[in-house]
Amino acid sequence: MTNANGTPSKVVQVSPEVQAIHRRLKRNQQMTRAFTYLVGILISLWVLIPILFIASMALTTPAEVRSYPKSILPFTPLSTYTLSFFLGSRGIIPGIRNSIVVAVITLVLSIVISAPAGYALSRFVFRGKDVFRLSILAVRAFPIVVLSIPLAVVFLRTGIYDSLFSLALMHTALALPTTILVLSSVFSSIPYELEEAALVFGCSPVQAFRHVVLPLVLPGIAASAIFTFVLSWNEVFAATILTIQNRTLPAQVLVTLNQSSEPYQFAGGFFMMIPALIFIFFIRRYLFNMWGQVTK
Amino acid sequence: MKANARTQGRRKLNWTPYLLILPSLIYLALFFGWPMVQGLILAVREEDVFLTLHVEAQQNSPVAGQLSRGTQVSILERQGNLIPPNELGETNLITEVWFQIRGTDEAGEEIQGWVPETRIRVRESDADGAPIVGSIRTRIGSDDPFTQIRDEPNAEAEMVGRFEAGASVEILDQAILEVWYLIRAEADGQMVEGWAPSRYIQVFGDVTQGRIDRGDTGQFTTKYIQRMVNDRFFMPALRTTLLIIVLVIPIQFVLAIIMALVIQADLKGSGLFLYIFSIAIGVSDLAVGILWYSIFTQFGYLNSILQGLGLIDAPITYLSANTRHWIIIAVCLAEVWRATALVMVIVVAGMQAISREVLEAAEVFGATLWQRVRYIILPLLRPSLQVALILRTILAFQVFAVVIVLGGGDIVTVLANETYRQYYDLRNFNVAAAYAIFILVLSMISALFYLRAVRTQEETIE
Repeated sequence: MTNANGTPSKVVQVSPEVQAIHRRLKRNQQMTRAFTYLVGILISLWVLIPILFIASMALTTPAEVRSYPKSILPFTPLSTYTLSFFLGSRGIIPGIRNSIVVAVITLVLSIVISAPAGYALSRFVFRGKDVFRLSILAVRAFPIVVLSIPLAVVFLRTGIYDSLFSLALMHTALALPTTILVLSSVFSSIPYELEEAALVFGCSPVQAFRHVVLPLVLPGIAASAIFTFVLSWNEVFAATILTIQNRTLPAQVLVTLNQSSEPYQFAGGFFMMIPALIFIFFIRRYLFNMWGQVTK
Repeated sequence: MKANARTQGRRKLNWTPYLLILPSLIYLALFFGWPMVQGLILAVREEDVFLTLHVEAQQNSPVAGQLSRGTQVSILERQGNLIPPNELGETNLITEVWFQIRGTDEAGEEIQGWVPETRIRVRESDADGAPIVGSIRTRIGSDDPFTQIRDEPNAEAEMVGRFEAGASVEILDQAILEVWYLIRAEADGQMVEGWAPSRYIQVFGDVTQGRIDRGDTGQFTTKYIQRMVNDRFFMPALRTTLLIIVLVIPIQFVLAIIMALVIQADLKGSGLFLYIFSIAIGVSDLAVGILWYSIFTQFGYLNSILQGLGLIDAPITYLSANTRHWIIIAVCLAEVWRATALVMVIVVAGMQAISREVLEAAEVFGATLWQRVRYIILPLLRPSLQVALILRTILAFQVFAVVIVLGGGDIVTVLANETYRQYYDLRNFNVAAAYAIFILVLSMISALFYLRAVRTQEETIE
């Protein structure tokens, strides 16, 4: 350590006891660090090894999938046969297409409906705001199972049963509370002063939003959209209940589970995980916005 | 600042925020509130138990009495009412359609009048699908080969002429009739007589006797709830669901707090740790079920590893009817693997709110890691833990696909799976709704329990 003049500072001349304490603290700190790394790596292995297992099952030959004992070395032999067998099975390609259609409709609907609400929650003070926020929090915790049965019956009666659009309506209902909360926290992270400045310089409120706020919140909206996509892509209970002919991928895999072979199941399981593996990487920082809102 | 306060003040009277939240309010009311009410109604209300009889053959005439479904009735009289075609959307509506037609008979005379739809084969229709040209059908098994044309759309009306089979006619108009019966039957020792639409009554061959097929009024019933409780899968499902919750949640919370501590330790590569730890948040429960199936299946990874290490000689069967405990262990592991990430995210967010100074001060004063966790982090995390507990428990009541994949749905079953079975396999919507409402009630009870438990704790601290 040096002071401004470049001469050695007096901090160096401390008593040996203090130095000893200092060393002990430092060693403790290093021990803790090493221990934390170890724990982190162990937990990572707990998460990653099962994924590695299923990935190597999906990317190998069906013979290897059926063999026993399996080689612990992953991806031997490496082959796309199992995965292409799964993708070539009846109902899988339409299922993937249906899943994507439902997820995209869900994503668009939930962003369009929740963006204004999120903006209102972050920018305005209004009577009933806390009630609204609390009911959103409560609704987010509601069981999907509870919603699916009555909605299925209602859809049957109104004749919009077994359509991708009605499934998307249901998924939007599931995603909406979370999207509203995350978008409100995304809007809150943009200082109101920026918008105010735009208003001062003669922008209309809509222009200020379009040219100042929107570019800044776009990443947050994208993260929320990705999350909604993954939620819809993964959802299996409502999808199985609400569709018959137009099954989404998880629903198709679930109803054919009993009649299908292990290579098909493993490839299906792995294929369904791929979006999560990719997308969670991009939105990991936003997860806290989504689930971390405990109190306001 | 003053200007800011003024704008804030003005904003309070502003309608903009209400307009902005309106779409989501409408949406949630439509797809959350309404289905919830519908679900409750499905679970506790039996539809169509009673049929209301009217004094006259009209829906808005005074009520003459009620008969329950299945009652044997005698049919005294029949009447057809004209109803507007736009009311025909209703299902199972038994109606008669009559056509007003014009054509030339054998004698070369032009006749205009009404015949039942069944007598006319429609040849042409206009753009809206309304018939415009037709021909008289051949009459089979009747002495009279001619079809009678009447001056009003009912079988008792005066005849205006007759057409031979095959005669082509012009269709001018159609009348849609709703048929009503005047019926009489005994209900609770009393004779009830009144008019009811024919769609509710199954008529026997002689047309004087019938049976009430379906009612138009419902009543509250505990029938579906009883059927749910007496179902042979109900208790096993409830027990397994609770068992999974009790086993999984404590492990998840300990693991999640450890994960959060690792992430908050400011290590190099904590971003990578965060990514790895939160992968499972985006993986569907079905995929997780399959993933753990690949480990626990007879020729799966667990046996491969054990055999590779020389611990076993032959593969063990884990997922069978005789090894329920192994299925539950596999389900619990899968649930811990899948859903700990969610708890971790909530806990990390809570930890980020704890001020660094407090933790550093504790460290300087020589608090061990355990002491810091026990006396600083955990108490300050209580609100986050409460939310995480509520969310996790509610989600655990819905565990579904993991159990189906690992337990086949019969050997080990859970409440959500029973809901699915009642709906999908047995087509029993009302019992399925009863299950759904039961899950909802359990979720609400557990949420209230956590809210109360934490509050009493706070009070004792004060």
